[in-house]
Amino acid sequence: MFLRILRRERTAAGAPALAAYLDELFGAAAGRDGEIVSRVHVGRDGRPNGFLGVLPQTMQLDGERLRAAICTTWMVDDHQADPFAGARLLKAVLAGPQDLAFSETSNHLSTAMWRRTGARVLAPYSLEYLRVIRPASFVLRMAANRFAPLGAAAPLAQLADRMAAPGGKRLSWAGYRPHAGKSDALTASTPDEDELARAIRELLAHHALHPHWSEAQLARMLAHSRVKAKHGQRVLRILRTRGGRLAGLFVYYGSRGGIARVMQVMAAPGMEGAVLERLLADAHDGGLAAIRGRTQPALLDAMLDRKFAFLHASSTVFHSARADLVAAATEGRAFLNGLSGESWTRLVGDRFV
Amino acid sequence: MSEGFHDKIRAFIVETFLFGDDSEPLPGDLSLLENDLVDSTGVLELVGFLEADFGLAVDDADIVPANLDTVDRIAAFVERKKAA
Repeated sequence: MFLRILRRERTAAGAPALAAYLDELFGAAAGRDGEIVSRVHVGRDGRPNGFLGVLPQTMQLDGERLRAAICTTWMVDDHQADPFAGARLLKAVLAGPQDLAFSETSNHLSTAMWRRTGARVLAPYSLEYLRVIRPASFVLRMAANRFAPLGAAAPLAQLADRMAAPGGKRLSWAGYRPHAGKSDALTASTPDEDELARAIRELLAHHALHPHWSEAQLARMLAHSRVKAKHGQRVLRILRTRGGRLAGLFVYYGSRGGIARVMQVMAAPGMEGAVLERLLADAHDGGLAAIRGRTQPALLDAMLDRKFAFLHASSTVFHSARADLVAAATEGRAFLNGLSGESWTRLVGDRFV
Repeated sequence: MSEGFHDKIRAFIVETFLFGDDSEPLPGDLSLLENDLVDSTGVLELVGFLEADFGLAVDDADIVPANLDTVDRIAAFVERKKAA
């Protein structure tokens, strides 16, 4: 059902591997809460015909521990046969004991249903950003996504990008070239997952509402995020000032000539612009055509200054009966999406064979 | 009491799913699903209305056509829930 409905794949060759992964993600002891659980919908014929995956997560707002339900992988088979199945799944999940529930990748129909339950759509978290680095390679990559043989023209596109770069404007939405600036004062390192986890925890504290990950949980999530075969090699970077103070970090997936998927960018307050500059420079040095990822309110201003483009693919929706939690989310004080969502899972960007 | 339920439910459906247009009658046995008045999205709006305006707790298992497909069925469902 997942491969057919959510990935629109015609063969079920990857079904056993995917089933094992879903079991590990939603069913293993590490992913279970006991009360905040995923829901399976069973049709009148006794066969499962719907699913709404839930990842339980402890969160905190200004020190208060909270229970969250991160909703993902919502699907219903043969919607016409049972038009209320999706509604029943959502209603069942939202009736759980959590303080808040949210979803990072809600499509148009799902978002409409969430809205009817009183959920809020968080626009500043719901935009997909795109920053073109090499315009000819970017256009070619987009075309090759539709018609693969065009990928053979990559050397020509790279040549065109090299010829255009010296005369290009320093700040243009249609291309990027590195330039000397304040961000050069930051030192970048490639951390191991333990060091990355420590940096993530430190930067989380700048968000009023954020996940409270145990060491084991964050380690498990980072292990899950190692491979996204559709998106390319994982790149981890931590940025520090000369004095060793943590400025930010980023995690993205990409391969030379391709469009990188940024899974997470985190920055200390006031360092957002410098962190984004280093992300762009890193992507440029890696030969990438463009980067794309999901917006976070804390980064929006700095993105606008750097000619990022924005479009909408799916929405972050947030449901809570508590006004203070809703306010934290709608006012952009929550750390949502990426690691605080579902993007770290293999369901986003990996293949199952 | 049931008639009161009917009127309130009918008014909600006309206002929410028919854009307030009550020029055509809305028979109590008209299927909201078959006539494309209510879909998976709309049914959650209907449930929200029943919970807010009638003070009901609607369980996920209650969200079935047998309870929510016509004005008559919805009114009967409200009555049963109130009596429980």
